[in-house]
Amino acid sequence: MNSASLWSLRLGFSNKEAQNIKKLGFEPFLNASFNSKVDFTIPSFLNGSPKTLDELKSMRQELKTQSSDQTKALRKKELQVSQEMKAWWLEKMKTDAFPLREKMTCFWHNHFVSTYQKVKVNHWIFQHNQLLRKNAFGNFKTLTKEMVKSNAMVRFLDNVDNKKDKINENLSRELLELFTLGIGNYSEEDIKNGAKGLAGLGVGENSASYRKFQQDNDTIIYLGQKGTFKSDDLIDIIFEQKAAPYLITRKILKWFIYDNPSEELVVYYGDYLRKVDFEIQPLLQKIFTEEFAKNTAGSKIKDPLVYILQLQYELHINTMNSRLLLVFLKQQGMDLFGQPNVKGWNGGTEWLSSQMYLQRNNAADLLCNGKSLLRNNQREDLEMMPNKTGKSLNSALDFDTTGTNKTIIAELQTRLLFQTDNEMQTDFETQLKYDFNPKSEGAQNAVLRLFNAMVKRPEFQLI
Amino acid sequence: MNRRNFLSLTGTFTGGSLLLPNFLHAFGMQPNLVFGEQCLVFIQLNGGNDGLNTFIPYENPLYFDLRPKIGIPKDLIVGKTNGMGFHPALKDFATMQQNGDLSVIQNVGYPEPVRSHFRSQEIWQTATDSTTYGTNGWLGKYLDLQCKDHEPTAGINLDNIDNLALKGEEPNSITVKDPNRFKIKRDNEQGIVLSENPQLDFVRKIANSVTEGSAEIQKALSKSTAEVSYPKTNLGKNLEWIARLVKGNLNSKVYYTSQNGYDTHDNQLNLHHRNLTELNDALASLYTDLKQSKLLQNVTIVVFSEFGRRVKDNGSGTDHGTAAPMFVIGGATKGKVLGNNPNLSNLDNGDLKYEIDFRSVYASLLREKMGFDASKIGIRNEGVRGLF
Repeated sequence: MNSASLWSLRLGFSNKEAQNIKKLGFEPFLNASFNSKVDFTIPSFLNGSPKTLDELKSMRQELKTQSSDQTKALRKKELQVSQEMKAWWLEKMKTDAFPLREKMTCFWHNHFVSTYQKVKVNHWIFQHNQLLRKNAFGNFKTLTKEMVKSNAMVRFLDNVDNKKDKINENLSRELLELFTLGIGNYSEEDIKNGAKGLAGLGVGENSASYRKFQQDNDTIIYLGQKGTFKSDDLIDIIFEQKAAPYLITRKILKWFIYDNPSEELVVYYGDYLRKVDFEIQPLLQKIFTEEFAKNTAGSKIKDPLVYILQLQYELHINTMNSRLLLVFLKQQGMDLFGQPNVKGWNGGTEWLSSQMYLQRNNAADLLCNGKSLLRNNQREDLEMMPNKTGKSLNSALDFDTTGTNKTIIAELQTRLLFQTDNEMQTDFETQLKYDFNPKSEGAQNAVLRLFNAMVKRPEFQLI
Repeated sequence: MNRRNFLSLTGTFTGGSLLLPNFLHAFGMQPNLVFGEQCLVFIQLNGGNDGLNTFIPYENPLYFDLRPKIGIPKDLIVGKTNGMGFHPALKDFATMQQNGDLSVIQNVGYPEPVRSHFRSQEIWQTATDSTTYGTNGWLGKYLDLQCKDHEPTAGINLDNIDNLALKGEEPNSITVKDPNRFKIKRDNEQGIVLSENPQLDFVRKIANSVTEGSAEIQKALSKSTAEVSYPKTNLGKNLEWIARLVKGNLNSKVYYTSQNGYDTHDNQLNLHHRNLTELNDALASLYTDLKQSKLLQNVTIVVFSEFGRRVKDNGSGTDHGTAAPMFVIGGATKGKVLGNNPNLSNLDNGDLKYEIDFRSVYASLLREKMGFDASKIGIRNEGVRGLF
């Protein structure tokens, strides 16, 4: 695989960026990615959803007083908005000129997990998502502070129920265990005391805020420091800890490059993250440029998002309903805004089981044959989604029609398969024989069949 | 994922591991089904088999005139009938014919023949005219209509690459690369280090379990044993596996495999002899095996190639040609030689003119063995008479 394709897949979701990486050069490409702008307009699908606390309150009232049918209808409407939001995000991932920001947003989305199923307020989920986007390359400490103070998070991790004399430890625990230090770097006492510091932090107008009478202003000891601490103070203390940079560095390496990064590498980049005061952009810059120079292809199993968006991009499928992609992602265990638990998607080998592999190959077969992702009997998941799908897509592949069977095989291989061997080459040349005529009428079909065979190879599953 | 999704997904992919009950049902309820479980076995000779040196017109002096270097001497030819006989390597073909179990269909081809391997195979596999480009294979189309819903093991392709002939709207076939892996899987599932890359090993292991872990195949293999010894060649192994799947009641409708090496532009005598020996020996074992298990009448074996070769040799080999004989073994075939002996004096640019369209053979196979009307998949040719 050529390095432009490899890094296009790693820093984006398809081969779309390969041209830009080649044209601009890798570092200028990175800089352009870091400088990409964020669109802060609120998408129109949220127009009808409650935004202010008053609006939410009145909706809750409505739900209480209405018949069960009306309640159901209201719930269904919000669920549809949630589906719209997923489709909106997927579209951004697909179309952004420099999708690294969306890739990083998705990384944070899987770090500071907050699912619609639990939060149930679309506007808060949207705000949470926009915060991630805005801070995608920003400061990890700042982002952690903003996350803990987001309405979505205090609801998702039950801090709305965390009050003086009625402590709920959930947010306090995950702040240490999953968001920052990781197990082994704090005590149960720290969790209890942290929860006291967080007590009373509940939903507010645009972000979470402390309730005067639910706060706990006791003096606590948190990670060895004594005082009365609120959320920002707790996070400041956390980031003074020795372990602070490593968990997130390991996760970043796993997200972009290695399923199993070496501890040596984690410490090396982690120390740098501390040195740059937890600024993410310089860390990414360092990781990407240094790893780009190494031969790292094949060290990571593709996530379902890259798998399907890459296929879609290669096959020029522009007309397929985003909702079908979303159903596929859900079946593959990568439901956006819908991680199975607060730990998020673990990735790596967990992306593939025989069943998942079957599904992937099945999807590849369907798309290569110009069919939509799902068959009739699988449409039940679509019930919540308006605009049911059309049946036929125009799948088409780019290849150099002036070439030979060998140049076409090489062309496809170099952007699809992280490595190849002689046996594979023989198989491909048996399929696309030496007397294949790339200018003939049926050439597109024949190359599509070759492509179809390639993307079912294990080597296609890795980047 | 819920169970329902899993069921439908495994069912929709080539290589699913669940036998859906409606599969048996669909076949069992076919009104025209010939008595007993019938199946077709295709052996595709890749590269363009030289028909004239396979089933040889030894009484035609033009044969020796046009092939001074590569003509097969008359006294070596076996199974002589009506001026035609088999290449010496095909002694068991001759026996099968004597037993009345092998039919030869002469001069099979199609109009406006194409001499590109790639394209001509495509034509044979899609059963289209040489100017039409189909996206699905003829057997794939047949299975689409024959299988209720879809059934991943209705067609079995024993090969390294997928086969266009079996490609349909629904994935009703699987490609099995190396049936030996079924055995490996049972004996030694864990702990094989395949490469330096643990992630790749993981994916490969899963890929194996997906494409070759089909429960029905395992089951069929466990129900059957090898009673006849097969040659240790590629084709021999593939035919042995096919026999075991048939004997184990896998209930697939179509088996497909291929043999490479027939593109004999040079050094033809040696190469062709070696290839035909492999073909003959493998088929002889399959024939004996099926006969012993009393399944020969239910299994129709079809041997063909994408084209024949030029009538006149080019020195020590032959270039790409057109029409050639097809062989049909078992399946209660009448065991005749159908069609005229090749006409070596009326050639088209040095190549034989086809007399029987290959799609007529397909039409007969489908109608008489599968109880299926070939016009439903766009084959309008009349069936060949006298085959069954």
